[in-house]
Amino acid sequence: MRRIPVAGATVGLLATLVIVLLHFGLSSYHQGLAARVAVYFIAILGLNILIGYTGQISIGHGAFMAIGGYTTAIMSADHHLNLIATLPLSFAITFACGLIVGLPALRLSGVYLALATFALAVSVPQFPLKFSKFTGGSNGMQTAQTPGNSWLYWVTWSCAGIGFVLAWLILRGRTGRAFRAVRDSALAAASSGVSLPIYKTLAFGISAAYAGVAGSLFVLVTNGFAQPNEFGVLLSLQLLIGAAVAGLGSLWGVLAGAAFIALLPTISASAPLVGSSHGQDVVFGLIVILIMLVLPNGVVGLLARLGQRRNA
Amino acid sequence: MTTLARRLGGVTQTRKSAVSTGASVPVVLALVGVAVFLVVGSLSSSIFAQQTVAGLAQGAIFGSLALALVLIYRATEVINFAQGELAMAMTYVGYQLTIWGLSYWLAFALTLVISFIVGVAIQLVVIRPVQHRSVIAVVIVTVGLFILIDGLVTWKWGADLKFMRAPFGNTVYHVGNVAFARQDLGVLLVSILSVILLGILFRFTKLGLAMRAAALRPAAASLVGVRVNWMLAIGWGLASVLGAVAGLMTEPSQFLQPTMMQPILLYAFAAAVLGGLESPVGAVIGGLAVGVFLNLTGQYVGFATSELRLPIAFAVLLIVLLVKPTGLFGRKQVRRV
Amino acid sequence: MGMKGRILAVVAGAAIVASIAVAAASGAHRLDPGITSTSIKIGGTFPLTGPASLYKTIPAAEKAYFDYVNDHGGVNGRKIDFTILDDAYDPSKTVPLAQQLVTSDKVFAVYGSLGTAPGLATWGYLNQQKVPQVQLATGDSYWGFSYKKYPWTTGWQPDYPGEAKAYGKYIVANMPNAKIGVLFQNDAYGKNYYAGLRVGLGAKKSNIVDAESYDVTNPSLTQQILALKSKGADTFVVFATPTPTITALVTAAKVGWTPSATLINNVSANRLFLLAAAASGANVDGVISTSYVASSTTQSSLPGVKLAGSIIAQYAPSLQSSFAKGDGNIMYGFGSAWTLVYALQHAGKTPTRAGLLKALHSLNTSANPFVYPGIKLQTSAKDNFPIEQEMMIKWAGGATGDWAPFGNLLTNVR
Repeated sequence: MRRIPVAGATVGLLATLVIVLLHFGLSSYHQGLAARVAVYFIAILGLNILIGYTGQISIGHGAFMAIGGYTTAIMSADHHLNLIATLPLSFAITFACGLIVGLPALRLSGVYLALATFALAVSVPQFPLKFSKFTGGSNGMQTAQTPGNSWLYWVTWSCAGIGFVLAWLILRGRTGRAFRAVRDSALAAASSGVSLPIYKTLAFGISAAYAGVAGSLFVLVTNGFAQPNEFGVLLSLQLLIGAAVAGLGSLWGVLAGAAFIALLPTISASAPLVGSSHGQDVVFGLIVILIMLVLPNGVVGLLARLGQRRNA
Repeated sequence: MTTLARRLGGVTQTRKSAVSTGASVPVVLALVGVAVFLVVGSLSSSIFAQQTVAGLAQGAIFGSLALALVLIYRATEVINFAQGELAMAMTYVGYQLTIWGLSYWLAFALTLVISFIVGVAIQLVVIRPVQHRSVIAVVIVTVGLFILIDGLVTWKWGADLKFMRAPFGNTVYHVGNVAFARQDLGVLLVSILSVILLGILFRFTKLGLAMRAAALRPAAASLVGVRVNWMLAIGWGLASVLGAVAGLMTEPSQFLQPTMMQPILLYAFAAAVLGGLESPVGAVIGGLAVGVFLNLTGQYVGFATSELRLPIAFAVLLIVLLVKPTGLFGRKQVRRV
Repeated sequence: MGMKGRILAVVAGAAIVASIAVAAASGAHRLDPGITSTSIKIGGTFPLTGPASLYKTIPAAEKAYFDYVNDHGGVNGRKIDFTILDDAYDPSKTVPLAQQLVTSDKVFAVYGSLGTAPGLATWGYLNQQKVPQVQLATGDSYWGFSYKKYPWTTGWQPDYPGEAKAYGKYIVANMPNAKIGVLFQNDAYGKNYYAGLRVGLGAKKSNIVDAESYDVTNPSLTQQILALKSKGADTFVVFATPTPTITALVTAAKVGWTPSATLINNVSANRLFLLAAAASGANVDGVISTSYVASSTTQSSLPGVKLAGSIIAQYAPSLQSSFAKGDGNIMYGFGSAWTLVYALQHAGKTPTRAGLLKALHSLNTSANPFVYPGIKLQTSAKDNFPIEQEMMIKWAGGATGDWAPFGNLLTNVR
């Protein structure tokens, strides 16, 4: 137990170094792609806290991304707030939204919670259309400044780093133990003095706040343009897929999950085998199913299994 | 049949009422009230009547797909997010058969057979391996199926609109000021008929009994010789058939395109929850209710503009989930988790 | 516009032309990105998948035309290399694809990209990078009006509000007592059309008895159509994308509503769609719309239609059947591609980005064989709307019928 922080810190330092060095090795275009990976990394990290650590499912995190994204767009376009300053605001607003959603979620679990959160994913993108006066409707909304790819790379990966450390601190401490207790046995958790309602709601809030910041950054990597189509149901489903690829309940796999959903469509589009644009969907769908069939615990599970084999 | 029924006695008895209706007295009274309201409204206003009839036809389609969701939920305790896309793909199969020269209704029948086989195959190949793992795992597999099927259909048939011959013709009947499309009546009839047939299968056949047993008490069922895995696969097959019916009945008004079932699936979710995820009858009534409710609010509630229809339907879903998670027709869960 | 405003506009316009000319002169000795001695690299984003994918015949036709041009000497000896990317109509996908075109594919120009929101999501970036974003395939008026702030962006087709104004004027002139019922898509596209109609109707806009919107997530349009019927509308105006337009026409027949006149916007007036609607029971006879491209069915003797037919036969056989049925999107693709080739030919012996924009800002030709006969492509330093003429068309012949033009060419459509 005591060795883990040391190993973790080493890996963390290495990861930081790689990210910093990578900035200088990548072209502007690839910096943009890497920034998208960071955005998904943050969102999946948040989703993983909810699903992997407290066992509550959400198919609605795209909705929180939409709320965060529109917060940034509106604050920048209409109130000329600095782009970076909109991030904590998104964090706070979506944290509150997460708590609000988390309260009714106390009564629901499993499939019912999946459906309720799915309802969010479907409904929230409709509101910018209804209230187009504030959101620009289908024509979307443009932030006052549009940062370049280098800026985006630094900001998104800094946020990803902060988010990761924060998640690690939360999960290794008392809160993390409480979360896991809630997941593994609600009854035992309650009897050992862990307040179920508080921790379940808290997990929703934290998780939504991560998605909110990811949503803000998502809008920034989309040239600062927020539009309802960006936050469709597919986004929520992609996050879920990313979390599954990552391996639920593990922080390190998140990078693989994020890279998977951010890069696979780009890669498979250029694969000669696939050719047709619809081939992308076929390949993506097939890989998702295969991963679930072959790698029940995601990439991390695979690594762990390989590790065991080597040790054996 | 009888021995099986006796040996499964415990199983079927606890669930029997849930399968038949499961509705409590207040729910029945409320439904009767709603029915009276609709009839009175229809008699007093022709636009009310037309909106109601059109809502019922639309609702019957929601109901078919909702019923498919319920079947799968009862069999494997998961929501099949690919249900709508599967229905869409099967409608394309039907279309292809008519292109190859089959008459509409022959193609219809053959499509249902193919749907059954495809549904069974999907359960055997991709669902069974993850079935016992977690809700999340199965949900993600169905999401993967969603994307895969969508890609396959667009690859094979393209995304441009396709059209089948109208199965019911384009006649319009006039009763007073109210116009009834023969097509709407046909859709209503086919949807209701397929639901009734399914009900008969479940209630009065040995296969139906075995399927219910496999879904509700898999351990007990396998003890008495029910091949549980096969029963679950057949459940997926039947759900796929119902989906195909919903798809083929959607085609006359929405035509063939890869996205045709996506809105329908969303409303089917709302319908299934409204009726109670465990209740087939509830799914159908939930579907009809959602269909009529949407049309009437659209007509009479100014704020409920088109972009808010879906949020409204899902607000209903959320309220039901919070107030009565078992829906109008569901019973309290008897199953141990 | 007052005298002062006009002077300002002229001065501003001259300034743009001058600055572009200066840029053109200074860039003359070095080749712009995407230009080699043998090729011109261009690319665009299109919805090949997703809800708007029925427009995918547009880039296919454009590619066929470029292939044809390449086999006939290219543009001053350079072959056009056209990259088609799929953004599925989602702006968050358009943005990295536009960056890919600029930084990785290093295109000379982003050409023909489809959709308003994808266009709005990328025009800031492309103008900042000084990459031409030309002939956007959308009829919103932003491209035409914003050339001062976004000098590297141009549109091509007539704008939507202008088209809607024309319908309004037509109704005032021919059906002054019409009770108008409008169905429109609940986004900027539908709302701009609706606003244009009200402008065109002028004082008669009180004749609109009901306007219903629909959302792409609505499972059917029956509710909206019944509402229009119940409000007593006798003139049905549909501002929708193609699929909902067909559904609307079919649904109207299905609920027993027979308005005395029906008008649909030209994006949806593809002959294929009307045939399909008729086959599904819609009353299509007498439906009115507009067109600005030649018809591959009724005008098959036109040289442009013949040329298009032979190009398709050789370079894009998969388009043949829809071309034979009158798919207007194919003629659109040819008309747009012709315009680009024309502009490239006028962008200097060695085309430059600034030269391309200059050519697109000084179009003055009636030679485009693929647009409706008589339509002139015309722009100037202060007029960035290439096509401002349309023909009104009316459907006759039911389920085997076709569009027939009537009246004179409309002018000043914007």
